[in-house]
Amino acid sequence: MENSSAKRLDFVRTNEKSDNSHHHYKHHHQIGHKHGEGSAIDYYAYASKIRGWNPSFKVAFSVLTLLLCIVLNNPLVSLAVIVSMAYLTVVKGGLPLGAYLSVLMIPLTFIILGTVAIGIDFSRQPIGQFNLYLGFGYLYTSIAKLKEMVFLMMKVFGAISAMIMMTLSTPSSEIIGVLRKAHVPKLIIELMNLIYRYIFILLDVFNNMRNSADSRQGYCDFKTSCQTFGNVASNMLVLSLKKANAYYTAMEARGYEGDLVFLEDEKPFQISQVIYAVGFMLFLLLLWYVTK
Amino acid sequence: MREPILKVNNLHYSYGTGNPALKGVSVNIYNGEKIAVIGSNGSGKSTFFLNANGVLKADHGEISYQGTVINKKNLKELRKNIGIVFQDADNQIIASTVMAEVGFGPMNLKLPREEVLHRVDEALTYMNILDFKDRPPHYLSGGEKKRVTIADIIAMKSEVIIFDEPTAALDPLNAQMLEDVLVKLGQEGKTMLISTHDVDFAYRWAERAIVFDRGKIIADGTPLEIFKNREILKQANLKRPTMLDVYEMLVEKKMVKNTDAYPTTPKELKILLENNLYYPESSVPMI
Ligand SMILES: Nc1ncnc2c1ncn2[C@@H]1O[C@H](COP(=O)(O)OP(=O)(O)OP(=O)(O)O)[C@@H](O)[C@H]1O
Ligand SMILES: [Mg+2]
Repeated sequence: MENSSAKRLDFVRTNEKSDNSHHHYKHHHQIGHKHGEGSAIDYYAYASKIRGWNPSFKVAFSVLTLLLCIVLNNPLVSLAVIVSMAYLTVVKGGLPLGAYLSVLMIPLTFIILGTVAIGIDFSRQPIGQFNLYLGFGYLYTSIAKLKEMVFLMMKVFGAISAMIMMTLSTPSSEIIGVLRKAHVPKLIIELMNLIYRYIFILLDVFNNMRNSADSRQGYCDFKTSCQTFGNVASNMLVLSLKKANAYYTAMEARGYEGDLVFLEDEKPFQISQVIYAVGFMLFLLLLWYVTK
Repeated sequence: MREPILKVNNLHYSYGTGNPALKGVSVNIYNGEKIAVIGSNGSGKSTFFLNANGVLKADHGEISYQGTVINKKNLKELRKNIGIVFQDADNQIIASTVMAEVGFGPMNLKLPREEVLHRVDEALTYMNILDFKDRPPHYLSGGEKKRVTIADIIAMKSEVIIFDEPTAALDPLNAQMLEDVLVKLGQEGKTMLISTHDVDFAYRWAERAIVFDRGKIIADGTPLEIFKNREILKQANLKRPTMLDVYEMLVEKKMVKNTDAYPTTPKELKILLENNLYYPESSVPMI
């Protein structure tokens, strides 16, 4: 909790003078997850310096980059994507490097665990360029296999960093706005909007309840903790039903008649950005063509 | 006699299975009135407001707005004309940026985009939160959220505005700012109902005070009449405004002349003291 309130403070500063906010951030951020990573990502998106870019552009750009990265299937292209997405997020977006790495940690773990199976295999005979005898069989691999593994890792990593560039610079509400423009059914859009807002309400309620229980010795030993957890959980259910009711009331009071429409900020396309983006795509294609 | 803008007649309401929260409330509200709604916790103020806005449907009794009795068909008109700022800001905020939140009401009124943007800016300026425009409400403090919800309703420009304990979460500076906004809204001719536990605020701001106790209105009159009536204050768990006590003490100790011009703010008291100091004729004033 302490950590998150410190960040809130920084957020205010970021808005006031976005140029030197960089220094404030750094000293208290390390790799790791202090509180719900979900809300941290949301938080970074609002604080990003490239939040002002047109969201449709950002979504289209990152999706195209992701597709190129997968379709071209070229390690150099993957590397270029990884580097340029990190550049966009960290340098252009002003996200501290530590925070960026900490967000990447989760997918990175999965990628490594997932690709190890491709690089390393198991056999009863000592085959392959390298093998390790385990008593009942051999763990073996070869340069070619390792190369394949690393290239796959880079490809997936590139694709993911393109997506992460988008999520770390575009608040969910804006992404939902883009989906709406892309004619995703209205019902889904409305649900997404409400669920998004609701997540924070329930998180808040949960945090408050947990903290207040904690301050009253609700987690002093294992048995009490279990009991408190049960109480908090059942209270959450009742509260979320009540909140839903209160919400509907408040929406009705402001003239809601079945159509949930929000005012969206129009962020103009910048031609220069589009040109850069096209240039980047062409560069990736060229890189692929040359090293094919 | 003027026609009341909002007329509530014998309103009864109970929540689900529980005890009745309103037991026969009748009141006439006239255009441009500034009303303080006071009463102890659980006396039915919020319930009354929600009924007046048409969000809760009364078990019994009727509400008319500008002479038209409200029924299912014209409920929308009622909601359009009566805006309500909820007691709990978290129950009101539904959008994920402050701008979208304040624009929600005007969007529902089907106003053109330009007009919505204009109103949002205006309301945010009123509440001194223009620089929060792009921020998500879930990273705001309690008082900041409260100001957003007040801006929500200002942007709807409804004729009647109901505030359910607006000053509770605000720091002194922002509470003062809210009072300035209330004065501005008053000059625009809005009818306002404010529930509050701050008797000093009710005393200096309101033209009329309505006292709730256990689901009934037990008193309705000018704040002065009500706060001088000790019986009512006792019944409704209220205390007297400081300025009233101070003034009466000054009169009692023969320090000011009793002019019946009751001061409601320290500033008014100062003017009164400058003009009406009580000098016994025979003695020379000592300074
Ligand atoms: N959602 C609800 N469900 C059931 N009972 C309720 C609900 N809200 C209020 N009540 C009950 O209705 C009565 C009137 O409550 P109300 O909220 O109108 O009081 P209030 O005058 O606004 O009080 P406060 O000053 O504390 O805000 C109370 O006895 C309360 O317990
Ligand atoms: Mg209340």
